[in-house]
Amino acid sequence: MSPATKAGAPSAAPPPPTDENVTGIVTDRATESTGESTAENAIVTTGLTKRFRGGQVAVDDLDLVVPRGAVFGFLGPNGSGKTTTIRMLLGLVTPTSGACSVLGEPIPAGISRALPRVGALVEGPAFYPYLTGEANLRRFDAADPRSDPRTVRRRVGEALDRVGLGAAAGKRYRAYSLGMRHRLAIAATLLGPRDLLVLDEPTNGLDPQGTREVRALIKEVAADGTTVFVSSHLLSEVEQMCTHVGVMRTGRLVAQAPITELRAGTAPAIRVETPDAGEAVAVLAGLGLAGAVHADGVATAALGDAAPERICAALVREGVAVRGFAVVRPSLEDVYVRLTGEGFDVES
Amino acid sequence: MRNGARAVKWGVPIVAVAVVAGVAVAGPVIAAVQGDPSLPERTAQELLADAARTWQSGTVRPMSGTIVETASLGLPSLPNMGGGASPFSLLAGSHQAKVWYGGPERMRLMLPGEMSESDLVVNGDQVWWWDSAANTATRVKGGPAAGRPDASPFPSAITPQQAAEEALKAAGGNTRITVGKDATVAGRAAYEVVLTPTDGGSLIKDVRLAIDGETFIPLRVQVYAKGTAEPAFEVGFDTVTFSPPAPENFTFTPPPGAKVEEAAVPSFTRLPHGKDEHEADAPRVVGEGWDRVLVASVPKGFGQDPAGTTGKTTGETTAETTGKEKSWRDSADGAASLADGLLKSATPVSGEWGSGRLIRTKLVTVLLTDDGRLVAGAVTPEVLYAAAGQK
Amino acid sequence: MATERAGAVPDRGPGRLRAAARLLGAEAALTFRRPRHLAMLGVLAVVPILIGVAVRLVAGDGVTESIVAQVAGNGLVLTFAAFFVMLPLILPLAVSVVAGDAVAGEASQGTLRYLLTAPAGRGRLLALKYANVLLFCLAACTLVAVSALVAGLVLFPSGPVTLLSGTTVPFAEGLLRAGVAVLYASAGMAALGALALLFSTLTENPIGAISATVVLVVVSEVLVAIPQLSALRPFLLTSWWNAFDGVLRAPMDTGRMGTGLLVFAGYIVISGSLAWARFTSRDVTS
Repeated sequence: MSPATKAGAPSAAPPPPTDENVTGIVTDRATESTGESTAENAIVTTGLTKRFRGGQVAVDDLDLVVPRGAVFGFLGPNGSGKTTTIRMLLGLVTPTSGACSVLGEPIPAGISRALPRVGALVEGPAFYPYLTGEANLRRFDAADPRSDPRTVRRRVGEALDRVGLGAAAGKRYRAYSLGMRHRLAIAATLLGPRDLLVLDEPTNGLDPQGTREVRALIKEVAADGTTVFVSSHLLSEVEQMCTHVGVMRTGRLVAQAPITELRAGTAPAIRVETPDAGEAVAVLAGLGLAGAVHADGVATAALGDAAPERICAALVREGVAVRGFAVVRPSLEDVYVRLTGEGFDVES
Repeated sequence: MRNGARAVKWGVPIVAVAVVAGVAVAGPVIAAVQGDPSLPERTAQELLADAARTWQSGTVRPMSGTIVETASLGLPSLPNMGGGASPFSLLAGSHQAKVWYGGPERMRLMLPGEMSESDLVVNGDQVWWWDSAANTATRVKGGPAAGRPDASPFPSAITPQQAAEEALKAAGGNTRITVGKDATVAGRAAYEVVLTPTDGGSLIKDVRLAIDGETFIPLRVQVYAKGTAEPAFEVGFDTVTFSPPAPENFTFTPPPGAKVEEAAVPSFTRLPHGKDEHEADAPRVVGEGWDRVLVASVPKGFGQDPAGTTGKTTGETTAETTGKEKSWRDSADGAASLADGLLKSATPVSGEWGSGRLIRTKLVTVLLTDDGRLVAGAVTPEVLYAAAGQK
Repeated sequence: MATERAGAVPDRGPGRLRAAARLLGAEAALTFRRPRHLAMLGVLAVVPILIGVAVRLVAGDGVTESIVAQVAGNGLVLTFAAFFVMLPLILPLAVSVVAGDAVAGEASQGTLRYLLTAPAGRGRLLALKYANVLLFCLAACTLVAVSALVAGLVLFPSGPVTLLSGTTVPFAEGLLRAGVAVLYASAGMAALGALALLFSTLTENPIGAISATVVLVVVSEVLVAIPQLSALRPFLLTSWWNAFDGVLRAPMDTGRMGTGLLVFAGYIVISGSLAWARFTSRDVTS
């Protein structure tokens, strides 16, 4: 209804979504005419649970919100329920309880409306070995009732070129290398204009160069405004491209936040090695630094906005014997390991 | 909610199974719901008189239909009894035949087999027996009357009409005739006449004859052996239409390439031995009513070397009977294998009449005496011994 | 972007049919280009030729009995002889391979999850898979008939055809009757295909689905051959396949063939609905 919903209009990359996007979104849904392409969250799950027949709970009470335009890193060790969640999002597995919606459509009821706008790579590539790469893509394109047969040649060609398989289009899939197979699977997700890409471990088994290529591709796609939901068991794989991160552990979501916020939780701290630790704490507190404590001859405090060089000068000025002075910046990886590692009680 | 949807989903195949089962059993169920038909009361004598009048006056309405014959005589298992075309295969299992009846001089009987077919076509004085498996057309001399098998204590009749006549003929004076509950046969309401033997020696409990309530054509004959709930032998219409069949059914021209032969009577009613060799020892019938038994001489070598004695039924020279040509379709071989199977189940017996071997089935008892005679009938062994005693 | 896509192909009406036809085309291309299936079709085409050659050799020895003589007398009869030989086992084997593989093969390969996320739609995919099985049944039976016809006309004389009833009909009518036999045999194979498709939805192992179907066929054939179990016969699929010989009778035995078609329809309805209930509710974890 509004001109902004016309095709291609919101082409500028959206600003990195903030915490508000994650939590308080569902407000003006009612004002939208279709609720389809303009829903502000690409993925929403509420209380999503999957208990398999053996009684094993793969996914437990999952409340996931993926804002539109985000590159959402879905992290967790192998077996933490990531793939089962993705299968539920794509309607492959029926949830035991709870609900999920993709691009504003309830799943599985709205699969036929939602999934044509979703490109999916689930648990690695799977194709017909006796067909060529191109024929494979045509085959999957034909399965989508909404894809346009008149443009299939162009779209398949573009997708193959985009992943660098243009030259190997006429080769049988059987003859593809592992990296080529992976790229073909990614090409399949790019067969049409997509609003959401769901990529399950897209770099699994790729060499470093392939990993870099995939990362560059995802950034490129995200720059067009497509939401990307990418799962990985390695934070480092996705850290550089994600705007948001969710962390799974044994079927539960233990953290979900914009990556900026997650980084904030790991704000730089000041670390002073000194025999006069008590005095050091007093000085740090006097400078207005939060959380100043000391132990074993080491005083620490959050750095905040303060300038490290001034703190160092102040300490010396007050007669604190500074043996070592450092600004400590814990990596996201440390946080991730803390979230998913053993013996860590999580409240979420 | 979700489980509910899944249950609804599985409801679809359940409904599908119910619908298919419904269609499959619709006929019997509808019949059961409607209950037994009730026709105007008639006594057995009236019925038989009506029926006899209909048959004798030749006013049987033109009709066509499918006949199903089921025999469970308790014979030893008969594998490969020669497909549908061999008359001996009719002694076990269930078989189908089709009849077209255009009048007393125009009829066709078809015995379908797998990729084969036998036909008896009667059109005036032209009587043809066609056997597609043998690719042989036999022209039967002597008109339709010759095509009827002679009276015998065996249920050898093929059509219900013939079978009904048989039963009535066999009954004689030793039969209690009653009218049973009305039955539905081939979708038509029918009277049921029950013939119960009063002779103690018979193995037959009763014979039930279903007679169409409108046309008085026998629709079904069931023979119950003593002590059984299911008929030992049953022949009846499965479907029947009372309208004149297409005239093509009654014209038969031997196709090009087929063997054409001539015979006095259709070969399928004959016993394995050729008529010429054993003229003197022709089978004879001893006794009366239900206790009638057949006494015949056993073909030479019977039971020892069946292959050697199974002469061609169509009167060909034996020089042609080489091993290779002896196809399993040959009805004579069917008889031989039947005899083999029967002989295996025979028990040695002896008495004042001599000694021999006895074969018992639910409905028929056969005695092979050591002096080379065959005595058989739907009777207890004692009756056979008596018949064997009177040389 | 999404609006543009949705506008390109409407999701109702003729567009929907066209899209279904496109997927069916893709399915058929997959079936008929697959090397394994091509080899199978090759065998189906060669068997009638072998039968023809064998009859030709035997006929030289002066045997004048039975169907052999009729084939030797008229090439068209080879079509019916081929069905008589191939309907009990060879054709069912080919159909089992294609239909048993239909869903289980995709599942074991992993392509099923990509078809479903395309999204092909579960009910729609199953229906089109079955439509493809129907196409294969028809193609296989037609191939057998055409191969037999060509071989028959090359090896033997042609002309008016003698039916099992001893009646002779013109060649054109014989051809027509062969066509009816093809359709009837295809219907019989389609019923088996529905059963195989059901098995295919129950497992992720195509070999399992295929062998289950073949075992069922063989067991049915054995049951049909046991006289004591004759009461089972009307309910077994295999006992109705050879009723195609009704086309060789005069008049054509439409009664028995009609009953056969009803039995086939019953099998298709039950297997199809079970397959649908299973396939639309199962978790795809492969």
